[in-house]
Amino acid sequence: MAKITIDGRQFDVPDGRRINAIEAAGQAGVEIPHYCYHPGLSVVGSCRMCLVEVGTPDPKTGQVRVQPKLTPGCNLTVSDGMVVLTRSPKVQEARAMVEEDLLLRHPIDCPICDKAGECRLQDYFFRYGRAGRRTDLMPFSSRRRDLGDVTLFVDRCILCTRCVRFCAEVSGTSELMVTRRGAREEIDVVPGFPLRNNLSGNVVDLCPVGALGDKDFLYQQRVWFLRPHAAVCTGCATGCSIWVEENQDRIYRLRPRVNPHVNRWWMCNQGRYGYHHVHDPGRAAAPRRREGAAVSQPDWTVLVGELGERLRRAGRLGGVFSPYLSVEEAYLLATLLRSIDPGAVLAMGPVPAIAEDERYPDGFVVSAEKAPNRRGVEEVLAHFTGPVPGFEHFLDLVRRGEVQGAWVSGGYRDAWIGESAARRFEGLAVLIVQDLFPSPLWERADYALPAAAFAERDGSYVNRGDRLQTAAMAVRPPWGVRPEGGLYWELLGRRGLYDQRAVLDELSREILYFAVAAGPIPEVGVDLKLNRLAGSLEEKTA
Amino acid sequence: MSTREPVLSDELRAAITALFPRYPTRQSVVLPALHAVNERLGYVPPQAVVEIADLLGLAPAQVQDTLSFYEFFPQDRPAGRFRVWMCRSISCSAREGESLLEYLAGRLGIRPGETTPDGLVTLRPAECLGACELAPAMLVNETLYADLTREKIDEFLRKVQSGQKIAN
Amino acid sequence: MAAFEPVLSANFGKPESHTLAVYQAAGGYRALGKALRQLSPADVQGMVRTSGLRGRGGAGFPTGVKWSFLPKDHPGPIYFCLNGDESEPGTFVNRLQMENDPHQVLEGTILSCYATRASTAYLYVRYEYPLARRRMQAAVDEAYAAGYLGKNILGSGFALDAYVHCGAGAYVCGEETGLLESLEGRRAWPRIKPPFPAVQGLFRKPTVVNNVETAACVVHIVDRGVEWFRSMGVPPDPKVLGDVGSLGPKLYGLSGHVNRPGCYEGPLGLPCRQVIEEMGGGVWKDRRAKAVVPGGLSTGVLSAAELDLPLDFVGPTRAGCLGLGTACLVVLDETYPMFDFLYNSCRFFAEESCGQCTPCREGTHWSMMILERIKAGRGRLVDLDLLLEIGDQIGITPGTTICGLADGAAWPIKTTIRKFRGELEEYIRRTNPQGHLATEPVPACVEPCEAASG
Repeated sequence: MAKITIDGRQFDVPDGRRINAIEAAGQAGVEIPHYCYHPGLSVVGSCRMCLVEVGTPDPKTGQVRVQPKLTPGCNLTVSDGMVVLTRSPKVQEARAMVEEDLLLRHPIDCPICDKAGECRLQDYFFRYGRAGRRTDLMPFSSRRRDLGDVTLFVDRCILCTRCVRFCAEVSGTSELMVTRRGAREEIDVVPGFPLRNNLSGNVVDLCPVGALGDKDFLYQQRVWFLRPHAAVCTGCATGCSIWVEENQDRIYRLRPRVNPHVNRWWMCNQGRYGYHHVHDPGRAAAPRRREGAAVSQPDWTVLVGELGERLRRAGRLGGVFSPYLSVEEAYLLATLLRSIDPGAVLAMGPVPAIAEDERYPDGFVVSAEKAPNRRGVEEVLAHFTGPVPGFEHFLDLVRRGEVQGAWVSGGYRDAWIGESAARRFEGLAVLIVQDLFPSPLWERADYALPAAAFAERDGSYVNRGDRLQTAAMAVRPPWGVRPEGGLYWELLGRRGLYDQRAVLDELSREILYFAVAAGPIPEVGVDLKLNRLAGSLEEKTA
Repeated sequence: MSTREPVLSDELRAAITALFPRYPTRQSVVLPALHAVNERLGYVPPQAVVEIADLLGLAPAQVQDTLSFYEFFPQDRPAGRFRVWMCRSISCSAREGESLLEYLAGRLGIRPGETTPDGLVTLRPAECLGACELAPAMLVNETLYADLTREKIDEFLRKVQSGQKIAN
Repeated sequence: MAAFEPVLSANFGKPESHTLAVYQAAGGYRALGKALRQLSPADVQGMVRTSGLRGRGGAGFPTGVKWSFLPKDHPGPIYFCLNGDESEPGTFVNRLQMENDPHQVLEGTILSCYATRASTAYLYVRYEYPLARRRMQAAVDEAYAAGYLGKNILGSGFALDAYVHCGAGAYVCGEETGLLESLEGRRAWPRIKPPFPAVQGLFRKPTVVNNVETAACVVHIVDRGVEWFRSMGVPPDPKVLGDVGSLGPKLYGLSGHVNRPGCYEGPLGLPCRQVIEEMGGGVWKDRRAKAVVPGGLSTGVLSAAELDLPLDFVGPTRAGCLGLGTACLVVLDETYPMFDFLYNSCRFFAEESCGQCTPCREGTHWSMMILERIKAGRGRLVDLDLLLEIGDQIGITPGTTICGLADGAAWPIKTTIRKFRGELEEYIRRTNPQGHLATEPVPACVEPCEAASG
C-alpha cells in the first residue's frame, strides 16, 4: 500500500497499481486539469496543463523535499511517501499561463461551437485562468476542413494530438497527422486517404475542445439540454456501455460510457450512429388487426384480451425470439407461451452476423454477431426447452404444420425477412408479429404489434463475454407502441406496472446461468461466468 | 489521385530499400528516403509520399507528417536547379546578411521563398547555416558561398545565367 | 597566455587533413589501439568520468555521469548517436571538426561506443553541412576498410557499425530526444523524461547521444591521460557542492564584428575579453563591443561591462546568461541596434519551436508577433514588460516545457531587455511617437487584416 499526500491529505494507493498523479488525484477527488493525457492513449506530456509540484522523501532522513521543477502529473507514477501539491502558487501560475497561451490564438467561437458546455478550455478558463487579455492578437480565423468521417475546425485545435494518437494506437489506421512545425501546426489527412474507419467517431469524444466535429451531431443540439441515460449498445455482441443522450424524447447522440471490462472508453461507428431508426417515420406506430382482407386498428384495451384468446385457441404454439430482446422480455414471453401451451416451441430468431470480428490493436473488438443478446436469450430459452432450435428449424416446423400459432418477435433494425420465408407462415391459425418496421411477415400477420426500440425499454443484455448489463430506458416510445415487457406482463395477468428489476430477480433465481444477477448490478455490469464454477460443482456433487 | 506511372523509379526504390539493413525499423528510413527522392526529382510530390509509405509499410500520413515538419521538401513543383539558402541568423545578419538576401531577391525578381519563373533559382532564407565565421554566407546546392558581398552575388548570378557549373 | 597546444584543431589547415593517411601520420587511431588492447570498457568509462569532461553541445552535462546511466549488463543493442546537428546560431566549430578532421571525430565516436558497449553508431549530421557529411562518410568508409569499424575491430572482438544520417533543417533535432525522434523517422518532437535516453532511447533501447566536440575530447583523454585533461581549464570549486569544474580544451568560436572571425582552441575558462582581443583581433573597424553573445544565441547577451567573465560553465551565468552554451561568441559593435538582435532572436525561435508543448509554441509565436508590431511602428513601452513576462513564463519555472528550446528562446529576450532597456525604449519612442505610451491592448485596426497584430 503506497501512502501519498495530495494537498496535505493522505491517501492510500493499492500496491502494484502503477498509476499516475492525475489518476491518483482523481481517486482522491482532486482534479488535476489536463488536455493531452488520456488513460487509453500513450502519455506525451505536451499540453503542460497537468503540471504539479512533487516531493519525495529523502531515503536517509525521511524528510520530504519539494522539487523546484514542476512535473507533469501524467508522467508521474505515484510512490510511497510522495507529496503532490496541486494548488500551490507555482502550480496555479503555470496553469494560468497554459490557459492564456491556448487562448492567444483560439477563436472564441463558443456561440457557434458544438463543444460549448462540455469544453475543457471553457471549464478550465473559469477554474484556473487569468482574467483579462494581455495580447493584441485577434483570432478571427476559423477555418473548417473535411477530414473524412469527421469535420475539423482547424483554428480551434490546441494540438493535444489525442486524435492522432488514437488513430495510431487504437484504430491502427494512422489517417490523422500533424503537419508543419511550431505555431503553424495543424491536424490534417493526406489527400486521398481520409479518416475512414469504424472507430473514427471516438476522436470527437477525445477532442477536449470543439475542433473536431461529429458530422451526425453537428449543430443538432446544445449539450446542456441533453439528458444522458446509462444504456447498452445493441449493435453487436460486444455490448459497449453507452450513454443515450436525449432531449424531450428525441435522441441526439450516443456516446461510449467507460467500462473497463467491455469497451473501456470506445465504441464503434455502427453503434454510435445506429440510433436513427428509433425516430424513423417509417416505424410501425400502431397495432394492426387483419381479418381476411379487412385491416383494422384495434385499441390496446381490447387487444390484450383478444391476443390471449387467440393464443389459447390456436393449438401448438411457437415463439420466435429476437436476439434483440432483453433477458427479462425473453423470459416473460417464454413463460407466457409455455403457460398457455406447455409444449410451445421456443426458437431463436435469425441472428444477423458477418463473417469475422473486427479486431483492433488495443484489444477493442467489434463482434461479427450483430445482435446484443443472442447469448442471454439463448440461455433463457435453454432453461425452458433444452437445446434451442434456430429459425430455419422453426420454419421447417411451420411448413410441416407442427406449429399452429406463432408469436414472432422481430425488433431488427434492417429488413430481416423476405417474401418466400414470410409466405410459409400463411397457413397458421394465428400469427402475431411484433416488430419495428413493416415487412412481408408484418403484412401477413393477424396481429401486427409495433415494437419498442432499444432506447425505449429497460432491459438487460448478455454480451459475448457473458457479462450482463442493464440498460435504462431513455426515451418514450411513439404513442401507439406498447413496449414488449409491459405487454407480456399484462398478458400474463400480472398486477401493477411492468418492473424490469423484479423480472430479473425472478429469472436469476430460476435460471442458474443468471444467478449472479440476483444481486445488485453495477454500472459496468456483472460477469455471469462466476456461475459456471457453481454449475460445474453442482454437476460433480449431484 | 490516380496515376498510371509510379513516381519512384526502380533505381530510386532500390536506393531506398538498400538502406533497410541500417535500421531496425522501416520508419527510420523515411527521412533518408525523402532526401533520396528530393535529390533526384527536385521535390517530393504527394504521389511519392504514397509510394514511399507503401514501400516502407507505413500509412501515408506517417510519411507526410515527418515530411511537413521540416518545412524543407517542396511538394508542388521541383525546386530550381540552384537551390539557394541564404542565412539570416545573428552572425550573418550582423554582417548585412539580410540586406544581401533582399538584394539577391531583387536581382532575381522574386520574393524569398520563391522560385524564378524560368525554374533556375529557388531562394530561401535559412536559419544559421553554421558558417558564422564566414558570414555572410549562403548555401547553393552543396556549395557554401562565404564572405558574401554584392559583387560576389553578382558574380554568382553571372555563373547561373551562363550555365556554368558551380564548383564545389 | 602560456603556450597552449591545440589537440582538437591540431590537424586543421593541413593538406588532406580529412584523410586517414594524414590522420594516422599525426598519431590518429593510436588511442583506439591503446583502448582496445589495454583498457576495458569500464576503464575507458572511468577515465572519462574522472577527467571531468562535460558535454560541449551546450548543456555541459558531465559525460561520464551520462554514460553511467546506462543499465549495467543490458543484453543490448545499445546505440550511440553523434550529435552533428549543430544549429545554434553563432556556432560552427563542429562543422570545422567534421570537415577538417572527421577521423578524430570518428575515433572519438568509436572509443565512446567501446566504452558504452554500443554496437551501432548513427552520425547525425545536419543537412546544411554537405561537405562535413561527405567527409564523415568518406572517413567511415576508410575506417571500415582499415578495420577500425565493422566486426572484430583490431582483433579485439569489439564490433561497431556506423552510419551517417542526414538531417533536414530543423534546430530542434539538436535536442537529444528530438534527434532520436528524427532518426526514427518521425517529426522531431522531443520526448518527455523519464524515461531518459540512457534507459530508453533510440528504438527504446539504451542510447547515448554525445556532441561532436565531446566525442573528439574522448580521443585525447585516452591518448594523453586524465591528468593532462585536468591540467587545463578551471578546477572544481571546493566551496560549491557538486561542482565538477570546467576542464579540458575548448574550441572557441568567434563571429560577428571582430577582425578575425574563426575557430580558436584554448583551455576552458578564458576570459571573454581575451578571446575577443587576442584570438579575434578585437572589434572591427576600431569600434567597441556593445553586446556579446557568449555561447550561441540561446545563452543571451553580455553587456560591454561584463566581458571579463571567464568562459567556463559558470561564468556567463553570473551575468544572467543561460550558461556557457557552445562557447561560440557573437560580437556586436556599438552601432548595432539591439532591437534588431531581439527581433532576429524572436524570429529564430518562433521559426524553430517544434510546436509540441503549449508554452513554447504559443510563447515564441506571441513574442514574435509583438516584435513584428513594434517593427511596424506600433510598439508600446509596456511591450518590454510584457516580453519579460512572456520570457519568464516560458523560461523561469523549470519543468514548464518538455525541452530547453523554450529556455533558449527566453534568455535572449530577458537579457536584452534587462541590459539594453534604455536603447529599446528609445527605439519604441522613435518609431511610434503617437502611441508608445498606450497600456491597453488595442487592436491595430478595426478591420483585422493580414498586417501583423501582436
